[in-house]
Amino acid sequence: MVLGSATAVLMAASVIGLFLVAPEDTDQGAIQRIFYFHVAIAIGSMIAFLVACVAGVLYLRRGTRVWDDVGAVSAGLGLLFSALTVVTGSIWAKGAWGTWWRWDDPRLVTYLIVILLYAAYFVLRSSAEGDRRERYSAVYAIFAFAAVPLSFYAVRVAESFIHPVVFTENGANMPGSMLIWFVVAQVGVVGLFATLLQLELLQRRAQRALDDLKLRIEALAA
Amino acid sequence: MSASHVAQLVALLRKDLRLELRTRETAVSMGLFALVAMIIFQFAIGQRADETTPFAAGIMWATIALTAVLGVGRTWVPEREQRVLDALLVAPVSRLTLLVARALALVVYLLAVEAVVVPLAVLFFVRGAEPADAPLIALVCVLADLCIAVVGAFLASMSVFSRARELLLPVLLLPSLVPVVITASGATHAVLGPARDLAEFRGYCVFLAVYALIFSLVAYATFDHVLDD
Amino acid sequence: MAGVDLHLAWGGRVAVVGPNGAGKSTLLRMLATLLRPDEGTLSVAGHPLPAQARRARGLIGYLGHDPLVYLDLTAWQNLELFGALYGVPRLREAVPAALARVGLLPRAHDAVRTFSRGMAQRLGIARLTLHAPELLLLDEPYTGLDAAGGRLLDGVLADVGAGRGAVIVTHELDRALRLADEVLVMRAGRVVLRAATAGLTPDGFARTYAEVTG
Repeated sequence: MVLGSATAVLMAASVIGLFLVAPEDTDQGAIQRIFYFHVAIAIGSMIAFLVACVAGVLYLRRGTRVWDDVGAVSAGLGLLFSALTVVTGSIWAKGAWGTWWRWDDPRLVTYLIVILLYAAYFVLRSSAEGDRRERYSAVYAIFAFAAVPLSFYAVRVAESFIHPVVFTENGANMPGSMLIWFVVAQVGVVGLFATLLQLELLQRRAQRALDDLKLRIEALAA
Repeated sequence: MSASHVAQLVALLRKDLRLELRTRETAVSMGLFALVAMIIFQFAIGQRADETTPFAAGIMWATIALTAVLGVGRTWVPEREQRVLDALLVAPVSRLTLLVARALALVVYLLAVEAVVVPLAVLFFVRGAEPADAPLIALVCVLADLCIAVVGAFLASMSVFSRARELLLPVLLLPSLVPVVITASGATHAVLGPARDLAEFRGYCVFLAVYALIFSLVAYATFDHVLDD
Repeated sequence: MAGVDLHLAWGGRVAVVGPNGAGKSTLLRMLATLLRPDEGTLSVAGHPLPAQARRARGLIGYLGHDPLVYLDLTAWQNLELFGALYGVPRLREAVPAALARVGLLPRAHDAVRTFSRGMAQRLGIARLTLHAPELLLLDEPYTGLDAAGGRLLDGVLADVGAGRGAVIVTHELDRALRLADEVLVMRAGRVVLRAATAGLTPDGFARTYAEVTG
């Protein structure tokens, strides 16, 4: 509950901050604001995939089912965030350059591949049952996470790099006032991930307890 | 008595090649598929361009990638259909050996397909290719084949038990192959394209080697959990 | 499967019987290291699984209702493969010897696809015994065997003496009594009866079987 409320506050604050308080970017105007969400969500999705990968490793080592749940939910959230990344990126591209899509933007293209990689995760999951499903999901979560940087570098190596860099060597490539709100948005997004993860895990645990109870009642009745 | 890993690997590889020679199913269908795919690409893309050389590398590797998916889909088919997989799993052979044997067999198939596809693609789409290009293209092929084989054998072993495997495998495999297609075609283009750039070629080849290495490591770390129940 | 707590003595032949779905094949597959139990520990031939699975596998011979051979290879090539996997020495002599034992030497270089069911199953027996396993695990092995093959398999099982073992899953009660020293009756994933076959008569056992399996 605490986490949830904290997240809600952070998200609200970041939305207000980014859209109302922070100064407008002279070059690109209001649309620049969505860029910060875009980056925050992008990073959030990577965190989700990392969690799924780690959960996969832990499942393979320990075999406790909770890690499969964490992995599956994280992968799902990561997929959702990735889709949002592409949508916000597309909106921003329209605002900044006038087209809904550019193929020479390595980050956007990579996220397209990432969506496919993790959609495949769920297809794989639905193809197996029980113990095998959990094992395969864990293995693929590790595999897909390794594929992400490779996909990014392949796309980047092959195409010209035009996506403006948000963080440069000298520090963030945005005015200090914006930086604060970006960090707020980022923490908010991570909090959102954690809250949703927690909610979903609780729901699954409750469902399982309910199923267990049903089985036991049926066994008694028989 | 126990067998060395190498002896087992050789036996498994020999078995795959023998099966292929006897039935000739996989290589022939892959070859025909590749040919048709290239013709389709010509009509879909090549017709509209005065000069197809810039597209040649891309068409070549798109064809090879799709053909590879077909070939990987044939993996484990004899074992599955004839239920021989149990006999292999019951034998004292490491699962890693099974995977490596499978990957090596895939490399052989892919090289056989490329022996046909590459010259044809050059014939159809490239102007101004030189014999000196051949070893460079061969290098790209070998590296890319290793990448495809490692990933293909690994993912195929996770789809062997599923019922919808004809659809599952392409869905699993193609997203992971995108980096391979991008860099292999980039490397090929660096050689066959209008401007020859060896530094670019080297960069792409290094990437392919790194890709193969990373996924070999992932496969090595997790193979235990993939074939056994 | 639940609560199977079994210790099978070495050098004996055990038959496992029970109605469909009792878990007989599952038990056999676990012994063959093809399945891992969800809970509990499993040791085969003194080798705990899964840690020493590879060593255990070298000692096991597994045969199911399918002969588990490659249809598109020849009989010879099949045995060559499995011989290499098991590390059987001097394959050039061992393979024809194994083929001769099961009466398939004249067809050694024909593809298994051209064999009859009985012949293919006999090849399966050759594969089974090629590496002289210490533990035979057989799942309904008589299915599809012709008369010659049946006699062959009887002979193989009779040869199981001291220092070796065999576990046979079958649905034929009298065969179970004839072949094995001990019989296990399974039902719904549990072992409900365990008895030495020496004192049992076919009718008596049939009655007991009907009782415990409901």
